[in-house]
Amino acid sequence: MNDTKSPPEIEEKVGVYVCHCGTNISKVVDVEDVAKWAESNPHVAVSRDYKFMCSSLGQELIEQDIKEKGLTKIVVASCSPHMHEGTFRAATEKGGLNPFMFEMANIREHDSWTTDDREAATQKAKALINGSIERVIHHQPLEQIPVSINPSTLIVGAGIAGITAALELANGGNHVYLVEKQPSIGGHMAQLDKTFPTLDCSACILTPKMVDVSQHPNITLLTWSEVEKMDGYMGNFQVTVRKKARYVVEDTCTGCGICIEKCPFKVIDTEFEVGMGERKVIYRPFPQAVPKYPVIDAANCVYFLKGKCKACQKFCPTEPNSIDFEQQDEILKLEVGNIILATGYQLFDVKRIPQYGYGKLENVFTSLEFERMVNAAGPTEGKILLRDKESEPESVLIVHCVGSRDENYHKYCSKVCCMYSLKFGHLVHERIPDATVYNCYIDMRTPGKGYEEFYDRLLQEGTNFIRGKVAEITDSPRTPEEEGKLIVQVEDTLIGRQRRIPVDMVILSPAIEAQPDSKEVSQLFKMGCDFEGFFIERHPKLDPVATMTEGVFIAGACQGPKDIPDTVAQGAAAASRVASLISRGTVMMEPVRASIDTENCSGCRICNNLCPYNAIEFVEEEGYSQVITALCQGCGTCVAACPSGVITGAHFTNEQLFSQIEGLLWDVQELEPVPAGKEE
Amino acid sequence: MTSKPTFRDEIANLLYASQGSPTNACIQCGTCSGTCPVANYMDQTPRRLIGMINANLKEDVLDCNTYWFCASCYHCTVRCPADIDIAGVMYAIKRYSIWNKTYREDLVGPRFSEAFMKTVIRSGRSYEPLLAPTYMFHFGPKEFFNEAVNASKMMLKGRIPVLPPRIKRLDNFKNMVKKIIPLGENS
Repeated sequence: MNDTKSPPEIEEKVGVYVCHCGTNISKVVDVEDVAKWAESNPHVAVSRDYKFMCSSLGQELIEQDIKEKGLTKIVVASCSPHMHEGTFRAATEKGGLNPFMFEMANIREHDSWTTDDREAATQKAKALINGSIERVIHHQPLEQIPVSINPSTLIVGAGIAGITAALELANGGNHVYLVEKQPSIGGHMAQLDKTFPTLDCSACILTPKMVDVSQHPNITLLTWSEVEKMDGYMGNFQVTVRKKARYVVEDTCTGCGICIEKCPFKVIDTEFEVGMGERKVIYRPFPQAVPKYPVIDAANCVYFLKGKCKACQKFCPTEPNSIDFEQQDEILKLEVGNIILATGYQLFDVKRIPQYGYGKLENVFTSLEFERMVNAAGPTEGKILLRDKESEPESVLIVHCVGSRDENYHKYCSKVCCMYSLKFGHLVHERIPDATVYNCYIDMRTPGKGYEEFYDRLLQEGTNFIRGKVAEITDSPRTPEEEGKLIVQVEDTLIGRQRRIPVDMVILSPAIEAQPDSKEVSQLFKMGCDFEGFFIERHPKLDPVATMTEGVFIAGACQGPKDIPDTVAQGAAAASRVASLISRGTVMMEPVRASIDTENCSGCRICNNLCPYNAIEFVEEEGYSQVITALCQGCGTCVAACPSGVITGAHFTNEQLFSQIEGLLWDVQELEPVPAGKEE
Repeated sequence: MTSKPTFRDEIANLLYASQGSPTNACIQCGTCSGTCPVANYMDQTPRRLIGMINANLKEDVLDCNTYWFCASCYHCTVRCPADIDIAGVMYAIKRYSIWNKTYREDLVGPRFSEAFMKTVIRSGRSYEPLLAPTYMFHFGPKEFFNEAVNASKMMLKGRIPVLPPRIKRLDNFKNMVKKIIPLGENS
């Protein structure tokens, strides 16, 4: 075979290693036959099959053969390069060759796992291996590119995930920029009352961490700020942050709060109190807010609307005055080495399910509204009250899976709703001992330390559990008992009967959703998000906090619904990934980079604008373009686009790729070649 | 190699043209039964019926009145979180039981459906004065008398036409129906 091709100048000796991968490959592919067949290729000096090539014995086999048989190129046919390319490159290097003298043929994911047809799979394995042999012959020695890591880190989002990551990194002596779009850090956790299953007070465990952040010398806190642009690459990102005008001068403000007291105008707080309470127009979201400086809500401020008032300025006791109505947005340019995204979640809009009546039936609440209500610092000072803010409910029903596990809204389970719904049940029992509590669930999901025990506790406390998804909530009665109540219609699936349950208060547990702007954020940081808007991790099991973009990590609910312990664990995990990069100082990057043959470049500049990394510059005086190697990510866009064909991608040269294609198609050579110029 | 399809497969096959998932996607949440306005008159709730289909309890499924009591309001289909066309499932079982002649004699549903289809196939439109007597006789003179009184009142107010309505090109319509309904020759 392949006798039509002229042999390369130097006599290459290729070693081919076919892996059984236990039985993953060998049960479908006849590995022994493939290995024997490969030997007949004139370039192949050694061809073996082996049970586990990735084992240390398998790797030693490669090293030995290089030393003893003088191999010059290595092909391993096994799993995906995603798994073991690094392993075999290292073995090649240990044997004394440049690591890039190696090529991997994927006969597991691309072959044995896709079929049961032994004959066809064996044939395909041969084609894949032959392609790799023909390619590896043309491999050039390459040197990895060292990249220094800037020790500063940008963390986007200062909920519990971002706070944890920031403190971990800062405590290790690294500088952190913590960016938060709200006026205070704390995220959703600051809004919660108790945390399941231990029932410790959310604020009591969160606020010490918030204070630590505010006092930490290694953390630059940028609240009321948003990231606008990211450039650069791992180790050397340039980030543009817009610090929105607070209209309060942070240098002089003491946080005394007199301005808030004196502000004569109130608005409904739709952010922190989710519409349950009011706040002043100059405000601090909550008493323990970090930083302590208030912010003026310019959209509602009478001075901004009508040009009069300035009460806050008049009463501000600091010298010079801390209220500055002329303050403008500030644009900051940050240089960071790594980025952690911890942008969190939002709750499903329950109005999208009209049969649950939220917004029309006044005593239907959302979970976050109830959280604020039971919070001692909340709008009702911890009392569970109906919308009239006077009467206590005698019966409360909690609806699970509102928008979760539903093909019409979100297919996934939101993971935390079962547990916090149980917690709500407990809080009602605690505050109104005579109240009847119902929990309507589809399946009770309590996987976690102490979670099932908490469910058991609620069973003991006398909560009524109804297995059934609530069909509808109405206020039109059919019997005298239903008069003046909310009637919840549901099938109790365990007794197989439709029930109508009259209650005073209904709490909906909405799905956890990705942030509405998650798609834009993922584009901004050049990484991926799934159809639901959650950020995609590099590997669902083994690399849950890294992304496909080197140097960008994710933590918390922006990756998928999760509870506080999981979020904290991810925050710390992302920080440790960053810390390990920082302590390494420099990392080696793949030398897969484009280069332009400037002699033959026509200077058309087509590549300049196509490059997604702005890595190609035009040299005006000389009239050609050139690649800035440090910025190039080796995507290959310019290589494909160049009309003169003078851009080369290292390790992906035309010669390498065409040889691979020809090698792959070794068994279709008998076909008549189409004469040049006669193609259709 | 090909084994006999299970009852669940048979029902799934009858649903192939409809939107949504087959019955095995059911998570037994009870939204259908909780929503159903006639659930209290059924001897099995729609959720249980789907559970029984999935368990291949063919005789029990065909034996219950659930699918004949379905009012086709489609609330269940709209709200089903597993995207199952439950009202479509009910129709599928109706068709199945008529074709296999396994329906219960004491129910009004099968007789009504048959009479309705016959009227429509004959004239292209439903015509109540002809439709009602064909199945009402079966339930005794008292029921028939009540209905007749109702019908006369409605006819006087012009709610029921006196003469049967007709459609144009009735032959074409009949040929179409013959092609669609597998047992069209018999009905």
